[in-house]
Amino acid sequence: MGLREYVIRRLILLIPVALGVVILIFALLQVVPPTRRVLVYLTGSPKELSREVIQGYIKMYGLDQPVWVQFAIWLNEVIHGNLGYSEYTGPVLYNLLKRAPATIELVIYAAPLIILIGTWAGINAAVNRDKTFDHISRVLSVLGTSLPSFFFGIVLSAIFIATLKWTGPGRLSPQMDSYLTVLRRLGQWHDYTNLITIDALLNGRIDYFIDALKHLVLPVTVLVFINTATLVRVARSSMLEALSKTYIIAAKAKGLSQKEVIYKHARRNALIPVVTLSGLIVGGMMTGLVITETVFLFPGLGHWAAYAAQRFDVPVVAAYALFSAIVFVLANLIVDILYAYIDPRIRLG
Amino acid sequence: MKEATEVIQIRDLYLNFYTYEGVVKALDGVSLNVKKGEILGIVGETGCGKSVTSLSILKIVTPPGKIEGGRIEFNIKGKTYNILELNEQTMTRVRGRYISMVFQEPRAALNPVYTVGDQIGEVFYIHRKEEIIKAVIEQLKKEIETTKGFKRRRLNIYLSLYERMLKNPRSLTIRLVSKVPILRRFRNLMNKEIRKRTVELLEVLRVPDPERVVDMYPHELSGGMAQRCVIAMALVANPLLLIADEPTTNLDVTVQAQILVLIKELQKKLGSTILYITHDLGVVAELCDRVAVMYAGNVVEIADVMTLFKKPLHPYTQGLLESIPRPGRPFTSIPGVVPSLINPPPGCRFNERCKYAMDICWKKKPELIDAGKDHYVACHLYSSGGK
Amino acid sequence: MKIKVPERFEPTVKEIKFILKRVKDTPLSLAGITIVLFFVFIAVFAPILAPPAPGLNPYIIPRDESLGFRVEPSPPSSTHPFGTTMLQRDVYYGCIWGTRWAFEIALKVIIAIVFIGVILGLIAGYYGGVIDEILMRFTDIILAFPGLILAMCMTTVLTQAGWTTIDSVLLSIVLIGWPGYTRLIRGETLRIKNEDFIEAARAAGSSDLRIMFRHILPNAIYSVIIVASLDFGSIVLTTAALSFLGLGAPTGWADWGRMIYDGMSFVRGGLRWWWSWTYPGLFIVFFVLGWSLLGDALRDVLDPLYRRK
Repeated sequence: MGLREYVIRRLILLIPVALGVVILIFALLQVVPPTRRVLVYLTGSPKELSREVIQGYIKMYGLDQPVWVQFAIWLNEVIHGNLGYSEYTGPVLYNLLKRAPATIELVIYAAPLIILIGTWAGINAAVNRDKTFDHISRVLSVLGTSLPSFFFGIVLSAIFIATLKWTGPGRLSPQMDSYLTVLRRLGQWHDYTNLITIDALLNGRIDYFIDALKHLVLPVTVLVFINTATLVRVARSSMLEALSKTYIIAAKAKGLSQKEVIYKHARRNALIPVVTLSGLIVGGMMTGLVITETVFLFPGLGHWAAYAAQRFDVPVVAAYALFSAIVFVLANLIVDILYAYIDPRIRLG
Repeated sequence: MKEATEVIQIRDLYLNFYTYEGVVKALDGVSLNVKKGEILGIVGETGCGKSVTSLSILKIVTPPGKIEGGRIEFNIKGKTYNILELNEQTMTRVRGRYISMVFQEPRAALNPVYTVGDQIGEVFYIHRKEEIIKAVIEQLKKEIETTKGFKRRRLNIYLSLYERMLKNPRSLTIRLVSKVPILRRFRNLMNKEIRKRTVELLEVLRVPDPERVVDMYPHELSGGMAQRCVIAMALVANPLLLIADEPTTNLDVTVQAQILVLIKELQKKLGSTILYITHDLGVVAELCDRVAVMYAGNVVEIADVMTLFKKPLHPYTQGLLESIPRPGRPFTSIPGVVPSLINPPPGCRFNERCKYAMDICWKKKPELIDAGKDHYVACHLYSSGGK
Repeated sequence: MKIKVPERFEPTVKEIKFILKRVKDTPLSLAGITIVLFFVFIAVFAPILAPPAPGLNPYIIPRDESLGFRVEPSPPSSTHPFGTTMLQRDVYYGCIWGTRWAFEIALKVIIAIVFIGVILGLIAGYYGGVIDEILMRFTDIILAFPGLILAMCMTTVLTQAGWTTIDSVLLSIVLIGWPGYTRLIRGETLRIKNEDFIEAARAAGSSDLRIMFRHILPNAIYSVIIVASLDFGSIVLTTAALSFLGLGAPTGWADWGRMIYDGMSFVRGGLRWWWSWTYPGLFIVFFVLGWSLLGDALRDVLDPLYRRK
């Protein structure tokens, strides 16, 4: 069948799901009465929201038209980047782009740690089945799945922020943050990537690098601890299953040492489902981000969405949901392709 | 029984499986020997312990199985070793090189994520590395003489790398260079040589279009092809003993016939000694020189094929031969079922189903005794006085 | 325990005895069961352990008038063993009744999604074809959203439309939960459908309905039990997370997540008011832990593949 055909096929199957996602968001929006729903269409701050003004907007955006007409109008707006206006934070798309880098910075540090630690721990637990390492990692992973991320975050926050005062909420300490605006105005700081740790290195400011890193440690720890748990379990059971296969005994019968058998033969097979799960975990991190960012007041997308949800700010929450779904669907796609690439049984039919 | 013409002697092998339901006494003092150049068949029903015996020879019995006693004596080039006393490191040099194994389900015995060429080549790499490197060095030397300039310098570098590999296979330099992306290319010469020999081997095994097969993955092959590849893997290092654990059971009858012909040919051409495990008496008749019959963890009879079929001594063997369906005769089978190996009956394990069972059969386990002309049987009918 | 059981049920009884024995043998599963039973006890005896204020909905944590209207929590004392949280609400009371509340929510949700999942899953798996495709597309769409986020979105929208937060939370979780079970049961149905005994039942003239409920379902139920017990914990976790974001129970409700949300503002003071968020948090952790261990234990026991290890 070939890799190319497989990718094309997956892309085609993607379309109904993507469409469905969009429709679902639209359907949810329909539940909101039109007088409130106008906000999803506005591009700029309305000077006033009197009844006549609202009625005007309803007419303008066709909120009194039949459903399918509304859908077309809404979809059109979304494609042109109009995600609405939030009463609390302003234009939605603008906020989305402004706050994305903070979240991306978290993900860049958390994701590789999750994947590496998860697979390493899982595989080693399987290889050393029922020995100390196995028991410890199993206990930790059970703990990781049952610990609510917000509780863990609060505990860490109370200890390290409030009591030890070792770090603080947000991305930078308050003084550093306000001084940054000065630096920018003086032209001594350029935002190359909007990722503070990287920009700090690029601008040659180690102090900012360290400060930003300190602020990343706690949220990343929470994210890693919670998400690694499932990966460890899957890696472990996948490895155990691979180790029980006949070709492992056959490999030993060829004269390979136990170590070679484990790392050359079993591991590659075991990693196949692990790779797919890793992708899904990273794609699904959007959930953990909401809570983690809120606990540590990290100014990213998650915190923005949580803040909006508390105030029932529909345009923001809807936009975040749409965004998360797209990220997740893309992650699924990438993972499927990777899976086909790694496992010759899928690739060659 | 201590002749230099014996490749392997198993003496009083005891093996237990420690399971949740209890201790399964899978092997209860198994004794047999394999002579050089012969095909010895081990025949018996499922669960009699034939597979586990072969795994013991290679010392790859997986927990919860554990060998509890006995000796497995292996003769290489005049010296005898007790396999059960060899350490793991030594065993990895024995497996695949002096003793190798062919498994029952060919596609299960192959790793699905590597091509068959890779997997066969792996055995070359493990056991015939020196030979390959020497061949590559020869080639390099010849080519260096006829090239000039930059290419010549590159080849010289390769040559020195290979010579170093030959001298010190575990050399740190080699290991490091093997990891670096572009420098790694020096191994391509070795891989090409291995591939060449793999294709040759597949040709010997009558695999059609070996150049193409080498790059295929196990799931793309038919059962027969896959089994030939597995046999190829086992033959790479020209082992002294080839163990074949029901290699044709999962294949179509026609394919089965082809494989049997192939095995017979190999034996003649390469002089291999083969231990052939099966439950199919027809295959035994066609293929084997001598046969060992196993029942419930014991060897009950050993004889050459003709004698066993014409004059079976043990009641179990007799029952087996009688139960072969023949036109015109009603179906017969041995009454009863195989006893539980967790709680086996005392004495001879066949006592419940044996029509000649005597008192002593419930008290003492029969040993293998010489019934004349290299025919051994473990039965009290023949112990005192003989038949 | 010599209860005379009709012959028909003897294999079932033997099975249950085997399961109980296996569970008893593993320390972790024993721990899980103990924890779960502990919480069940608390939930059942809540009115005795923490008598509700008369005339008030027992799920609203009563305030201690004697301590006034102060916002800051009061430390643990003899009258308030776990201290009080915001506006002098008793933490101990909240934790106890929070247990009952957790069970109530989890039970409602699980019954709903298992019910939906079984029906849709059996139909999709058994009949296949167009129905299956359509259902799978639906589940795909819902599963394309990370769970909590869709629940967040749904809750927000529904409350804007006039629903109470609690009802919208329940509906949201049910809506994000049913695809998982549908897929699970569909998968099991597909697997079991091809077994020979189904063929035999059909040859014997059983109707589709009979085959589905009498033959397929009892075999599929094992996976459902395992996943459901694991989900018991995760549903409570999700509701707690939603409450933590302010989307769950209203203020003053005996809901662990809500109590943490109320206690969040006091984290800034460090460990000074630790009791307002630590106790509810610990309750959540152990509740989910207990069910996770139980689910794992059940999986080890019920999964035929693992049985003989």
